[in-house]
Amino acid sequence: MTAGTEARPSSAPAHDLEDVELLRSIEEHGVGFRVASGLLLLVILAGWVLFGRQLLYGLGVTGLNQPVAWGFYIVNFVFFIGISHAGTLISAILRLAQAEWRRPITRMAEVITVIVLAIGGFHPVLDLGRPERALNIFTSGRLQSPLLWDVSSISAYFMASTVYLYIPMIPDIALLRDRGTRPRWLYHFLAWGWRGTPRQRTVLDRAVGIMMILVIPIAVSVHTVISYIFAMTLQPGWHSTIFGPYFVIGAIFSGIAALLMVMIVMRKVFHLERYLKHVHFDHLSKLLLVMSLLWFYFTFSEYLTAFFGNEPSEMRVFYYKFSGPYALFYWGMVACNFVIPVLILSFRRTRRIPGIMIASIAVVVGMWLERLNIVVPSLANPRLPYPTGFYVPSLVEWGMFVGGIASFMLGFVIFARFFPLISVWEIREGRAESVAHTTERIEGYLPDPRPVESSAASGEA
Amino acid sequence: MSRPPPPRWIFLLQLASVAMIWVFVLSISTWIVHLIRLSRALHDVPSASVAISIVAIPVFLTGAGVLTYVFVGLRRGGGEPGEGGAGQETEP
Amino acid sequence: MTRWGMVIDLDRCTGCGACMAACHQENNLAAVGPGETERSRAFHWLRLLPEVEVARAGWFGSEHGAASDVIVSYLPQPCFHCDDPPCVRVCPVHATYLSDEGIVAQIYARCIGCRYCMAACPYNAKVFNWYEPEQVDERKANPDVSLRSRGVVEKCTFCHHRILLAREEARAGGRELRDGDVTPACAESCPAQAIVFGDLDDPGSRVSQLARSPRAFRVYEDLGTEPKVYYLTEKG
Repeated sequence: MTAGTEARPSSAPAHDLEDVELLRSIEEHGVGFRVASGLLLLVILAGWVLFGRQLLYGLGVTGLNQPVAWGFYIVNFVFFIGISHAGTLISAILRLAQAEWRRPITRMAEVITVIVLAIGGFHPVLDLGRPERALNIFTSGRLQSPLLWDVSSISAYFMASTVYLYIPMIPDIALLRDRGTRPRWLYHFLAWGWRGTPRQRTVLDRAVGIMMILVIPIAVSVHTVISYIFAMTLQPGWHSTIFGPYFVIGAIFSGIAALLMVMIVMRKVFHLERYLKHVHFDHLSKLLLVMSLLWFYFTFSEYLTAFFGNEPSEMRVFYYKFSGPYALFYWGMVACNFVIPVLILSFRRTRRIPGIMIASIAVVVGMWLERLNIVVPSLANPRLPYPTGFYVPSLVEWGMFVGGIASFMLGFVIFARFFPLISVWEIREGRAESVAHTTERIEGYLPDPRPVESSAASGEA
Repeated sequence: MSRPPPPRWIFLLQLASVAMIWVFVLSISTWIVHLIRLSRALHDVPSASVAISIVAIPVFLTGAGVLTYVFVGLRRGGGEPGEGGAGQETEP
Repeated sequence: MTRWGMVIDLDRCTGCGACMAACHQENNLAAVGPGETERSRAFHWLRLLPEVEVARAGWFGSEHGAASDVIVSYLPQPCFHCDDPPCVRVCPVHATYLSDEGIVAQIYARCIGCRYCMAACPYNAKVFNWYEPEQVDERKANPDVSLRSRGVVEKCTFCHHRILLAREEARAGGRELRDGDVTPACAESCPAQAIVFGDLDDPGSRVSQLARSPRAFRVYEDLGTEPKVYYLTEKG
């Protein structure tokens, strides 16, 4: 590893060599990358081969039916887009709050967002009976349809989060360019002429500042609009005013859990123990705990309201989940989203990496179950005296589900191959400037010194 | 610096990528306007939907604007030797 | 303005199912077969919904056994062609829309098969072509009704093609459409004449008179969908 020619005007001179190990995965990538991406591509390909049956024969190859016309594809659509809130919360809100512990986390969070948005945003197309007509949305779209609001808000979020991922990456890309890392043209292309001059730094800071504020309302709107797909219908179990905030909280919840999982895995695989320390996991898992309690509060409100009203159509859906065919998924959801995380994360003894991993996996599974519990039971219990519906997902749907997860992992693997998973320049900035800034800031919070008496004052040397 | 100046085609590629963002954003804005006009012709859309859609357009334009600002700002504030185009600024 | 509606007299309905059969024939409905029906993909535009009442002990002399304890009645349910249709509100591509005459119409060629309208309809009136529908033999198909492909949603159209034909005939005869000129297939086939169809906005039409009967009700009308199919309760 040549370290000679890399004095950058923007970074702290003394510690240049320290963070170079973050680039090791890029410059010394080995067989691991090829094996991982090869395996994942195989899984994804298998999913697409199965999906070929759906393209050939129609949606009949799925487990969908009447009345349960929506299933895995819509569940996964909501699930993947939900995870995208990881990036926004951590990156934008923590940056806004000037929380210093965010520095090694922001890059991974932002990458998660971009990848799951692409995967999730594509899922509705998988669900179409006539996917080749998807462009009708553009030629004859109807503004009053929540699905259409979705198209524009997800596009806005995808654009904003890509921009918000890319702009803070520029200094790191420039670092790779200056080290001559291959493929050289890629880093030259993406670095946009960054040289670390003060003027450029101002531009970057300003741009990041604007984006971090812009991205937050967009992110909130995305999941609110997704909830409106359900809440704007008249179906029992769906037509609830709590859906907007409920979905946003649930998204942030699942996003943090996914982020924790990714952090733990990447830390292990790329030996990032020096950067992702216990304190980072501690803070993030406390946030996860808070979200778990919030999630429980919203869920409790939602179901108590339905139960108390005792409206027949609502109660059919209620009992279908509580004690009927979906009881396993419903109580499984409560266990995974509330019982397990609260038990593990409330106590310092268990709030360590293994415990946090278990809690995060539980939350991700639990939130997926929540999406399932929202989509299927309301459809399976029509108001009119039709027989109660059922839904057994087929191999095609499982294949696309597993393929979606594999796509997420592949996206990450590819990103880690070309770009640093931890923001090098932000770590260096933290070392160089943040300690002083933070001390100054905290001193500003403390009481001002008492004013000196005027008679004993000025003029004295 | 021992680093050779990057070829001009890299700069053109960068310019093209920024142009693509504008194509994307302007297409989406056009589409939203098209939808609004369609809904007014059909007289059946709650005005809330129209209002929200009108808000969406500035969001897209801001995103593209920020990216362009960064692109132009980085070129102005740095300026690599050998790359033609914008200002020949001296490094501080 | 014409507003097409329907009244179904539940007292006359015997649950024979002729309306379902006629609708299938008239509109070239695909037969999905027993396998698909087992998978809960039964395909009808008009359904007979059973209402089962279990009588309490001592009622109707129920000491004799189970058979006399159960009362089954049927509700023939087509699309209600709501005046404020939830399905139209959610369609992202304008493939279903409310026409000027009150018919909730569909554009099969535009439907992208997202099935949002199916999820939104409180009455489950819409059905989906999960596979390529087995087309009826061309010689037996009704040439007035277009065939649908797989991946699109469809539903009862109030035999809209019959409305168009009747209007053509009336125009040829130099007169306006009269009450009784238009009869959908279900109404025509009902042996008990339980189904009446016509213009709800015409105060003289049979349909609007029956709709104002004290026995008239609509299904789940508190939802605000303004359905245009009225039912007359059973007498006694």
